[in-house]
Order: sequence, then structure tokens, then C-alpha cells
Amino acid sequence: MSVQVYIPTPFRRATNNKDRVTVEAHDVRMLLDELESHYAGLRGLVRDEQGEVHAHVNIYVNSEGIEALQGLATTLEDGDEVSIIPALAGGRTIDVHR
Amino acid sequence: MFTAEELAQIRSQAEAEYPAECCGVLLLRGRDGTDRLLLPCRNIQDELHAKDPVKHPRDSRTAYYIDPKDLLNIGRREGEGYAVAVIYHSHIEAGAYFSATDKRNALIDGAPTYPDAVYVVLSVVKGKVVDAQSFVWDPAAGDFVAGSSAPS
Repeated sequence: MSVQVYIPTPFRRATNNKDRVTVEAHDVRMLLDELESHYAGLRGLVRDEQGEVHAHVNIYVNSEGIEALQGLATTLEDGDEVSIIPALAGGRTIDVHR
Repeated sequence: MFTAEELAQIRSQAEAEYPAECCGVLLLRGRDGTDRLLLPCRNIQDELHAKDPVKHPRDSRTAYYIDPKDLLNIGRREGEGYAVAVIYHSHIEAGAYFSATDKRNALIDGAPTYPDAVYVVLSVVKGKVVDAQSFVWDPAAGDFVAGSSAPS
């Protein structure tokens, strides 16, 4: 399956500044394997050593988060669009009074 | 950094969402920075906390997590040529400082997620914005440092 992958700014340092790449894959896990084999710099950015997607990274297939689908086993169809987007989060200090 | 209108909108958001931390981004496109898009975002920290309080021990009074739907929208806008220029959020009953949590979440593998973005933190005390400060990544220091200008 030929799938378009959107690469956000924070990860483009690992993809030679490409913001979109085309990948042949039948599910999300294979897609990440393919991406990491072509762009070694992505290793560790999207998944941990156990192959699980980092908590601060969100992956979408056609605007639907994979956690609401079948996770890494989510199947892909020709023409699907996959986006890999890091979380934006934070918060105040809670153990020190300022 | 912000126009007076944008800053007023952000202050209003921070006070309207009190006692939850608010969050959002300012996107810019083009060299002159006149193509501006202020995107107030939804803080889903309460939902994360309710779903898994062990993994997400904080609620929205002390933390923020931008709704993935907003993140996807930001990503799409980046695809249209916009860049994330400012990422803002508020601290409730606390100062406008860049916390250890803010820093940890602004890094991926030790490198800043958005190295060119300005991070703005608003202090909201008793429902009113009382301070706002900016922070930028300093490559030489390998850390976030106070910005050179106030967020206005």
C-alpha cells in the first residue's frame, strides 16, 4: 500500500528536511519500520527500544489517532495519509512553592 | 511577538479557563510575519487524568496537554507553510517561570522540539493574569533561558 506520511518540523532533521514522504506499508508498524530503515535518525524519536510509540508522540491515520484504531497494527490502504506529531505539554512546579 | 489583540485574546483565554491551565500556539507564515494565526488549543489534561491517574497524576490545575486534534491541525498548517512561532500556556496560582516539567516536555531526545519557537508562560492568580514571561532555547547553554523581550 502506498501511503503518504506527513513529517512535522521537529522530525525533519531526521528526514533531510522532507515534510512528506511516500512509504509502502500494509500497517503502521511496517510503516515505521520502513521509515526508520530509510531515515536512521528517526530511530528513538518516534518509538522506544521496545518498539512502542513514545507517549509524547501521536500518530494519525487520516485524522484518526491510532490509539482509537488498532494501534501499531492499524492497517493501511492506498492513498491513506499518516501524520506523526509530537505532543505539546507541560505544567507548573507542584513540589516547590514560588 | 504578540500583537495587542493577540495578547488580549490570550489573557482572556487564560482567565476564562481558570482554574485550568490554558494553552495554544501562534503560527506565522512569510518573511514579514504578517500572516499570523493564533490557535487557542484545548487542554485535555483532565481527560487524561480521569482515564489513567497513575500515568497522568496531574489534572488541569497543574498541567496541560494540547488536544491531539489541535496538534493535527497545527501539523496541517505547517504543511501550508506556517511555522510554530510561539507556544503558550498558563500556570495557576504560580509564577510565570519555565518549569522542569515544561522543559522536559519541550525536548525530544535532549533536543528542543521546536528550537525556534518562543515559549510564553502566563501567571494566573485568583483568576487574573498577573504576569507573562517568554523563554527561548539557547543552544550554547543547552537550556531554555529568559527571552529578551516581554510577550507583547
